[in-house]
Amino acid sequence: MTTAKNTREMEKIEIATDVLVIGGGYTGLKAADSIAETGYRVILADQKDAGTPGQSSLFGLQPDFQNSLDGLKDAVKANSRVEFLPEARIKTAAGVPGDFTIRLTSDGTEIEKKVGAIVVATDIVSTPLNHIYGLDLSDRVISLSDFEEKLSSADFKKKLDKDKQTVAFLAGFAQDGNPLLMKRILDSVLAVEEAGKNATAYVYINDIKVAGDNLERLYKAGRDAGAIYFKSTQPPEIKQQNDGPAILLHDPVIRSDIEAEPDYLVIEEAMTPGQVNSELADILRIDLGPMGFLQTDNVHRFPVHSNREGIYVIGSTRDIQDLSDTWTDVENAVLDIKQLLGDGTKEVPKFCAVVDREKCVTCLTCYRCCPHGAIYWDDKAVISPVACQACGICASECPQEAIQVTGYSDDELLEQIRTEISGIKNGDPKILAFCCENSALEAGRTADLFHYNLPKGLRLIRVPCAGKVDIHYVLSAFIEGADGVLVMACHPGNCKSETGTTFARWRINNAYQMLEETGIDKNRLEFVTLASNMAPDFAKIAVEMEKRIG
Amino acid sequence: MEEKQVMIMGGGIAGLTAARDLAEFGVNVHLIEKSSFMGGYAIGYTCKASTECLQCGACSVEKTLKEATETPNIEFHLSTTVEAVSSENNKFSAKLKKGPFFIDPERCNNCGLCYEKSPEKGAVLRGYSKNNHPLYAITAEGIQSHRDFFASVCPEGAISVDAKATSETLGVDALIVATGFEPFDPNQKPTYRYAEHANVITGLDMERIKRTHGALVRPSDGQPPEKIAFIQCVGSRDERLGHLWCSRVCCPYALRSAQSIKTQSPEMDITIFYMDIQNIGKNFPEFYQTCKSDFRFIRSIPVDIFGEDNDRLSLRRFDETEGTTVMETFDLVVLSIGIMPNSENPAISKLLGIELDQDGFIDHNDALNQTLTSQNGIFVAGTASGPNSIPGSMAQAGHAAGEVLKYLGVTQ
Ligand SMILES: Cc1cc2nc3c(=O)[nH]c(=O)nc-3n(C[C@H](O)[C@H](O)[C@H](O)COP(=O)(O)OP(=O)(O)OC[C@H]3O[C@@H](n4cnc5c(N)ncnc54)[C@H](O)[C@@H]3O)c2cc1C
Ligand code: SF4
Ligand code: SF4
Repeated sequence: MTTAKNTREMEKIEIATDVLVIGGGYTGLKAADSIAETGYRVILADQKDAGTPGQSSLFGLQPDFQNSLDGLKDAVKANSRVEFLPEARIKTAAGVPGDFTIRLTSDGTEIEKKVGAIVVATDIVSTPLNHIYGLDLSDRVISLSDFEEKLSSADFKKKLDKDKQTVAFLAGFAQDGNPLLMKRILDSVLAVEEAGKNATAYVYINDIKVAGDNLERLYKAGRDAGAIYFKSTQPPEIKQQNDGPAILLHDPVIRSDIEAEPDYLVIEEAMTPGQVNSELADILRIDLGPMGFLQTDNVHRFPVHSNREGIYVIGSTRDIQDLSDTWTDVENAVLDIKQLLGDGTKEVPKFCAVVDREKCVTCLTCYRCCPHGAIYWDDKAVISPVACQACGICASECPQEAIQVTGYSDDELLEQIRTEISGIKNGDPKILAFCCENSALEAGRTADLFHYNLPKGLRLIRVPCAGKVDIHYVLSAFIEGADGVLVMACHPGNCKSETGTTFARWRINNAYQMLEETGIDKNRLEFVTLASNMAPDFAKIAVEMEKRIG
Repeated sequence: MEEKQVMIMGGGIAGLTAARDLAEFGVNVHLIEKSSFMGGYAIGYTCKASTECLQCGACSVEKTLKEATETPNIEFHLSTTVEAVSSENNKFSAKLKKGPFFIDPERCNNCGLCYEKSPEKGAVLRGYSKNNHPLYAITAEGIQSHRDFFASVCPEGAISVDAKATSETLGVDALIVATGFEPFDPNQKPTYRYAEHANVITGLDMERIKRTHGALVRPSDGQPPEKIAFIQCVGSRDERLGHLWCSRVCCPYALRSAQSIKTQSPEMDITIFYMDIQNIGKNFPEFYQTCKSDFRFIRSIPVDIFGEDNDRLSLRRFDETEGTTVMETFDLVVLSIGIMPNSENPAISKLLGIELDQDGFIDHNDALNQTLTSQNGIFVAGTASGPNSIPGSMAQAGHAAGEVLKYLGVTQ
């Protein structure tokens, strides 16, 4: 099995090393602090005044938290490497990693900044879900946030005990919830129980989300202290009367209805990213993921990568996280930034994808299809070698064939197709498999090494991404005498370049039509998706292809 | 600047990630792995994609192993244990016991002859990944029982039956503990009769069957089952065993695997017995909705398992709504075993002078920074410090690498 070699000459370029941090909550402050500590200058832009605890900062009953946030804020404000931009709004962000130009307003004035990297650290918003339960908030039907606020007063807790009050919590029926919300509830439940032996907590809940630090233990602590849990997949019946809420639940274990009239009914909250995420996604040209978080659900992005090199998403920008996870995100981003920016000079491959300026007609197809936002233009399209991931999607999409990827040029690949096919012994069905180097190529090589049964006439062609596979290659393979062609991509959602699998599938569908027109049996072409650890499946697919065409 | 040396104990995904990240900054890494293969448990897992990737992270382990093996300044010490560690003036001195290496990695070309011709199953082990080199390892027992065979089988002359363990001393500036976890031993729940019934398997068995067969089959007859049950929280969240933690990975691996099985065999009848379902991936609500329409969810943990004809299995459980005990028969039962502390943790704690937490995992000394241990210069990553997923372990390992760089004063 031969494969094209990706030879890359390196070139040194100068890059900007200032870092823009968007969002001045706990995460943003922590990021600013850590990045400044490594020696880079930081611009910290916040919608408000940085260090005003965003809502997420207050989550949970963490008395020490405000102190540590204040301490962090003071340290960052005193740090000469950090420039604060309060009341900031990002307007535009142009350019590429190592050379972003940001226009923003701060306190009403327009500012332009050159930065090498961008860190997004936005907050989450917590919203009570009373409407889903058909309840109105009142003195006694209250949101979890408001209840947490009340619990911070010693008098309130004393009263809970003295007046023998009961507090009911309602969660898991209006949404699935998450461990962070669960922690807030479990903390509050325990606080009620610990207010005194006469205060009681009832918890009406569906799934208990204990997949977090110490939560199972916290759950037990609450129960041991006297909290009573009613677990059910269906919400209890709740009536909101003038004199307070009443809850009716059918308990299957004791087979009867249980009625409660708690003094407080605490309603769960949704924790969601703010509107600002989708605005930033547009401005920064990064992908918006599920539920409005700023990161797609793709293993290649974890932990803190966006689809664009040089733009990192941390903390609650990308998922619901507790503070220790946030800290982990910060340090991962710092590591990536150090790698990207170094000492301000960067070795970049001289060639990744390159545009032939003679052929380019500035149609901007490449600008639109590049999943890594690596392309900009002067009078012609330009590809940033720092940002380019060499997937080759642009090369295959360019209608002018003006883009080539070093090591994977059309000429090189067509030559390789020819040599591989002519090298197959006559009599063996000739099968050419175009394999994405991230998945199928690894699976194929493993199948070979593990001596799985593979067709003798199978040859692998390495491509940087299935999105690089041009219809042209497939047709050439048939013209050169291939009996079967496999195009093997990553599973949808696992493509390192996000859309490579989609492009490949779409092109193969077109290829089917062309085959039909030329009278070539459609069974001779197959598109499949695989992961690197699927060697047995690779072998099965190849053998089935051989049987079909043999 | 003087070259910095870091020793990482444990070559699972956490150790590999930290090694790769440190090496990229010019640090010399010694990666110590006690088994014959790098990659830890997760290198043996299989893809759980349905019609799309479900983000299980298994392929990230392949990828990281490949990247680490391609990074020049990582030295891999396979079949190696740390026997003693002393420290002086911010330097650690570690005494290693290495080997014996019966296969010479320089000569072995992974042809697999020793494995395929081996007179005894289990005498030669094979790694899971093509990036494991050598891909094969001969056990000491194997050598003892079949000396003559092994002395002559290798055409490359890579096998030396007389190989002896050696020792080596390393001087390092910092240390990362990434010694991982232990899967729960299902024999601790005797009523599930794991040892007795071939078709009662663990989640780990399921991974390995799928990885080697490309599909889930019954161990008893190699045939695909038609009706399977998953029992969640086996060994986790178990007050009686004193395991007051959720393992965090078993709901995800069970439901993702169930989805991939269902995609391969749409007729498969799948039941999940559970207490609470934990969140899986970023798009959990949608994923869970699909699961609910594809599988039967029963909120009750079966009490025991009995054998039936044709190697089928009956599960007995208490049904809350009926108020009675019910029995139901399945072709295969998967026990979703959880993450337990490495049983070597007390020894590791003693060796390095670091503390364990109340559950027996390596304690992290700071509530917010989960990579610091109770000793300066010693950091922790991955499941050594508590239940974690592959992406979670990778993130923590990246964080640990960052802390090590700070500690060593390596900038940019
Ligand atoms: C059945 C099952 C399925 C799972 N499925 C998934 C999944 O789909 N997705 C997911 O994200 N997570 C999954 N997990 C969790 C996943 O296995 C862990 O997150 C991951 O393996 C943790 O990696 P690690 O490096 O911390 O530990 P390990 O994988 O345990 O690696 C530790 C390494 O250290 C070595 N070692 C131990 N002690 C020593 C010592 N004293 N000296 C030297 N070396 C030592 C071990 O040999 C091992 O190679 C699953 C877990 C189980 C049990
Ligand atoms: S399901 Fe898991 S192994 Fe498969 S492609 Fe997705 S992350 Fe990789
Ligand atoms: S992840 Fe699920 S199965 Fe595993 S311990 Fe937690 S609740 Fe139980």
